[in-house]
Amino acid sequence: MPDYVQRPPTEPYRSLNPTTKLAIALTEALVAFVVRGWTGPLVVLAVVLATGLRAGVWRAFLPFLLATLPLIASILLVNTFLYPGATDLIARIGPLAPTWTGLVFATQAALRVIAFAMSVALLGLTTRPDHLIADLERRGMGRRAGFVLGATLRTVPRIGERAREITDAQRARGLDTEGSPWRRARGLVPLAAPLVFGALSEVEEVTMALEARAFSAPARRTPLRSFPDAGWQRALRWTLLALSLLAIAGSVSGALAFLP
Amino acid sequence: MPWLSRQFSTRVIALIPVAIAINIVLGYTVQTVLKLPIYLDSIGTILVGVLAGPIAGAVTGAASNLIWQYAPGIGGGTIGPFAVVAAVIGILAGLWGYLGVYRSRPATGSRLWLSVVVGVAIVVLLASRIYNNPAYTDPNIGGYPDWVFTAAILITVVASLAVAAFILVRQDTAGAWVAAAGALTGIVAAILSAPIAAYVFGGVTGSGTDLIVAALRQGGADVFNASLGQGLFSDPIDKTITSFVVFIILASLSDRVVARFPLGERIVNPAPAPDA
Amino acid sequence: MTLQLAAATYRYAGAAGPSLHEIDLELAPGDLLGVVGPNDAGKSTLCLVAAGLAPATIQGQLSGTVTIDGLDTRSARPHELAQRAGILFQNAVTQLSGTSATVWEEIAFGPRNLGLARAEVIERVEEAAARLAIADLCARDPERLSGGQAQLVALASILAMRPAYLLLDEPTSQLDPQGTRLVGEALAGIAARGETGILITEHKTDLLDRLCTSVLVIEEGRIARQGAAAEILADPGLPAAGVEPPARVRLMAAARAAGVELDPEPP
Repeated sequence: MPDYVQRPPTEPYRSLNPTTKLAIALTEALVAFVVRGWTGPLVVLAVVLATGLRAGVWRAFLPFLLATLPLIASILLVNTFLYPGATDLIARIGPLAPTWTGLVFATQAALRVIAFAMSVALLGLTTRPDHLIADLERRGMGRRAGFVLGATLRTVPRIGERAREITDAQRARGLDTEGSPWRRARGLVPLAAPLVFGALSEVEEVTMALEARAFSAPARRTPLRSFPDAGWQRALRWTLLALSLLAIAGSVSGALAFLP
Repeated sequence: MPWLSRQFSTRVIALIPVAIAINIVLGYTVQTVLKLPIYLDSIGTILVGVLAGPIAGAVTGAASNLIWQYAPGIGGGTIGPFAVVAAVIGILAGLWGYLGVYRSRPATGSRLWLSVVVGVAIVVLLASRIYNNPAYTDPNIGGYPDWVFTAAILITVVASLAVAAFILVRQDTAGAWVAAAGALTGIVAAILSAPIAAYVFGGVTGSGTDLIVAALRQGGADVFNASLGQGLFSDPIDKTITSFVVFIILASLSDRVVARFPLGERIVNPAPAPDA
Repeated sequence: MTLQLAAATYRYAGAAGPSLHEIDLELAPGDLLGVVGPNDAGKSTLCLVAAGLAPATIQGQLSGTVTIDGLDTRSARPHELAQRAGILFQNAVTQLSGTSATVWEEIAFGPRNLGLARAEVIERVEEAAARLAIADLCARDPERLSGGQAQLVALASILAMRPAYLLLDEPTSQLDPQGTRLVGEALAGIAARGETGILITEHKTDLLDRLCTSVLVIEEGRIARQGAAAEILADPGLPAAGVEPPARVRLMAAARAAGVELDPEPP
């Protein structure tokens, strides 16, 4: 089989089995949101930054971080200034009354968002989607789920490209993307209609093409390649699962309330 | 289970990626490019639910959210944790599909006017349930601020007119059911989204709807109620519009294409008897 | 063993009347049959029925019998049909699975679905790529190919299923002249081996003129004329049936009209 089909990566962290990297990302997301207060997000953020450094993707983190800024700003502003029932004022600036409770709440929420976003970024930057899908399929996810995931990852940019073309053509014909909401809404139908119908028209053809290549055959699909998976990685995945369940149980039962 | 595998025939498997792409691309365009205060990111989910069934719809919804969150390029934002809500929207759509909500019901005369009355009554009823929610009260003044009154009445009137116009212009009584299905889906979505927004993101989502959250907080609503109030404001409108869009799409597709889907027979009106 | 249609009548689901009426047709390995006819005459339907996709995948009503090497298409599962009759459509993009990073993996899509042993999958992919001389495309991204190249990859993907029969529905209609030439040469190569029965519907009668031994004219779902390619394509009644004769025939007719007798067989 040609080299270009084999290609498992060899760099640190990237060389981990794709399912391991997925398990890590899911556990990080869960812990960041479920373990309340400062502990959860800060621990996850530390782990993500450390592994990101090891994998050499620190610089690539920046755009993902910047993308969260509007949300962070909104969280900080709304919660610091408008946290109902809080009385510990930081200051009184005219009609505005920021509170410490609000600020703490806001910062913790912001940290959760950042930790989650960085964990997502780490997964995206170190794992090829088709490697992940191939590995999951090998583990029994099945060809239909594999097709849906793989096809979606290619269909979304294709339809996005078509949307851009239609929007540009509409702009040239006077579509307003900056004016009043009513004018913007009127531009929606000439954009959405050809997009949706164009996309749907292909479904019949794709169905026939899939059947013509035995997509619905009952046999288990032949795996082309396998990704290295050491015993310690298997152990790690089970540990992560146990950790996630403990985190949920601990958080729900209040047993983790002692954490800052 | 044959019921389950029928929902995932090759045709449905071919449809789902397209539906997910429609969700993501339209949602992104509406929210980011056109910056309208609606989401419009569930058209594909409801389409799959109605054509293929509740599980297929749930998969489409959940996958759309997760893929959008994790997708390189357009990913990020707050959509991922709402995957559960998206899945429920898909399940409800499957229910509406089974009930034949999206089947065309041409009618004229008194039957048409009856459905207009029914449709408007449903809109008014649901609107009054929504806007009576305690999330909108302002304890400082012991009641509703003026802007809630004005907005509620304005929305109710516009929605009623839109539904009535739809039924009359298309001469199709299905409009009433489509509106009801959309509004109900929206209410459920809002109720499910509020705790997620409040618990996970501190009550805001980084989009224009945060202004509504801020206004409600200003009125004294706590984190959960402010999110619920914002949801009940945006979601029923968004899902009702989506519902009508799905109805128009289904009506525009040729019968023979729709009939090949698992729930297709519930959408297509029975064909005239074939010649011998 | 042949691909046989006997009194085949087919009506699409939800359609008022049949699109094919009483079609009798037999295709043997090594045959190269061209099908021409006006638009909506039923050429595409004929391909779908002959491949068994109608009714197995798109439902509809089939009366009469269609058998592929003895397998009745009404009772066969789609994956059984896929291994006996391969079908190629006009639009190359929708035929590619869209899930493969390289052309090599794309061609492997079908054999992998059958659950064949890895060694056999590799063998079939190499063989199909070699047959169509596209080994140099195998490392490329299928989304970044020209129309003609994409159509060749789609064809290779079908060949990897090792069908005894190939049904091609206007395979070059969306291609530029170079793409048409590529596909035409590939088909000629397949035909020359004599192992596969090929049915090809086309508007580009030049292609059929070069490749086919016999030609069928379909009008309104019925076979109007059938015979040797040279005869049918030279028939002056062809334009009236909505079919443009190949350039060779038009040239001879124009020359005759001008009073010049051209030698049909150049030395």
